Amino acid sequence: MTKTQLTKQQMDISIPEEFALRDEVRWLKSEDIRLFRLLRESMNKIEPAYVATYPPSECGIATFTKDVVTSIAKYTPFSKPTVVAIRREHEIEPYERIVRFQIFKENRSSYLDAAKFLNESNVDIVSVQHEYGIFGGEDGEYVLDLLGALEKPAVITLHTVLQRPSPNQKRIVQEMVQLCEVAIVMVRTGRQIMLDVYGADPAKVTVIPHGVPNVHRVSAQSVKRALGMADKAIISTFGLINRGKGIEYVIMAMPKILEKHPNAVYLVLGETHPGVRSYEGESYRNMLTETINRLGIEQSVRFNNRFLSLDELVRYLCATDVYVTPYLNKDQIVSGTLAYALGCGKAIVSTPYLYAEEVLADGRGILVDFESPESIADSIIRILDDPKLKESLETAAYRYGRRAAWFNVAVDYLGLFHKVLNRRRLAEQLSKVRA
Amino acid sequence: MMEMDLGIAVRRNGNVGVIQLTGELDAYTSARFREVMVDTIENGGANLIVSMEGVEYIDSSGLGALVGGLKRCSERNGKIMIVGAQPQVRKVFEITGLEKVFPLYENEDEAIAAFGSKL
Repeated sequence: MTKTQLTKQQMDISIPEEFALRDEVRWLKSEDIRLFRLLRESMNKIEPAYVATYPPSECGIATFTKDVVTSIAKYTPFSKPTVVAIRREHEIEPYERIVRFQIFKENRSSYLDAAKFLNESNVDIVSVQHEYGIFGGEDGEYVLDLLGALEKPAVITLHTVLQRPSPNQKRIVQEMVQLCEVAIVMVRTGRQIMLDVYGADPAKVTVIPHGVPNVHRVSAQSVKRALGMADKAIISTFGLINRGKGIEYVIMAMPKILEKHPNAVYLVLGETHPGVRSYEGESYRNMLTETINRLGIEQSVRFNNRFLSLDELVRYLCATDVYVTPYLNKDQIVSGTLAYALGCGKAIVSTPYLYAEEVLADGRGILVDFESPESIADSIIRILDDPKLKESLETAAYRYGRRAAWFNVAVDYLGLFHKVLNRRRLAEQLSKVRA
Repeated sequence: MMEMDLGIAVRRNGNVGVIQLTGELDAYTSARFREVMVDTIENGGANLIVSMEGVEYIDSSGLGALVGGLKRCSERNGKIMIVGAQPQVRKVFEITGLEKVFPLYENEDEAIAAFGSKL
């Protein structure tokens, strides 16, 4: 097994630096004060706050939150976003200045303190990212303390929508929806589950897709050359590694793939999930390594066992011929890594978990059986054998992914924030008139 | 870059410069749009129409380029008007409030008429 590492020269293929509205406005302040003032008077103002985990914490929600915050801020040059970060008591996180308050996950009173901080701030609206595990208490129920004490309007993004929740999990979601103005889910299936399983008011559940980086399609061949893998057929999976990923089934599919395509390489990109590492160390990765050794395919599977930067990730994705999400949990309602692969316009093979079923419909990907190396191998070979099929999958994925580029998703979030605020203002005016 | 790049065509309608865009105005393409806009303004087009009928998406770097263009136009007492914005693009102007800075018109004739009344 060899490790893949990017050199400086290979870093040249990257997402362009954006000279965005915010930078232009900052520049105008010294260059053209009259135009600066016109913009300041004309542009909509909004002061959003975000409650979630936040980098440098290494978790999918933290990355997602930073993407949302950054993307929205680009459209709101006269606003100052606030992040309330959730962290474990014993961790010391060197947060950016934008993190103005911290919740200690298992300290119940800090949820009320956070609500007090937000109520007394100039924040207009609070966006909460929800995943049971990031909040303290049983099934993360302390989030209800925060929402219950919050006087500002809140919207909640649900990263997990369980089809078969425990009674406590169901109660928490129902109460969250009650306490928030709107619940955001990332696919239509999630919305339907919210209505059917949780009895949510349809008017309170909306769909905004998972954002993806703004990546224009490039020739995989040019990126492969830069990675020193020009002669390889690249299959990849990325993300925080854990047992639910089902990576062993792709590894077990490799011998059959190699019979037909001896130049195939499977790249497993990403470190072991820090939460998983804390209780079982690297035992899952060790099991994968043993499988690779047993199959004698050491030269055809490569690990990059660390948290990858966005630029690195995008480069590997651009070089990929077939992206695979062999996940094992049928109920998984969102996958950031699958969303990213769509955004990069990749030919995708996936098990049919709920999110994949919806986003890969209509020829945007190929679904395979759960825990089936045979089915994975057949689909990957089909794509590698048929350039027309590969191109058609890539084009369909890319077109779908463009709508979910972060700059579009940010507009969806901002639109929702304004709608919620306008509705609340109207309600306040009406109640004044009635009084 | 393969598809959904930005197409740019420049022409004149009387003394108004018209820049017609097709594709996506984003971080990959806005620098090129900015260059064309600066050229058009410096070659006597203080008043500009940016036709966005064929623009599928615009991001904040596209908006930034427009603001940069407006700075140059306003130094020459000119304006920038947007025509034909599709719903997704229109939404971006409305949500940011920039439709108050860059008036949106259905078509070029309406924008030319508006310039006429303001020249």
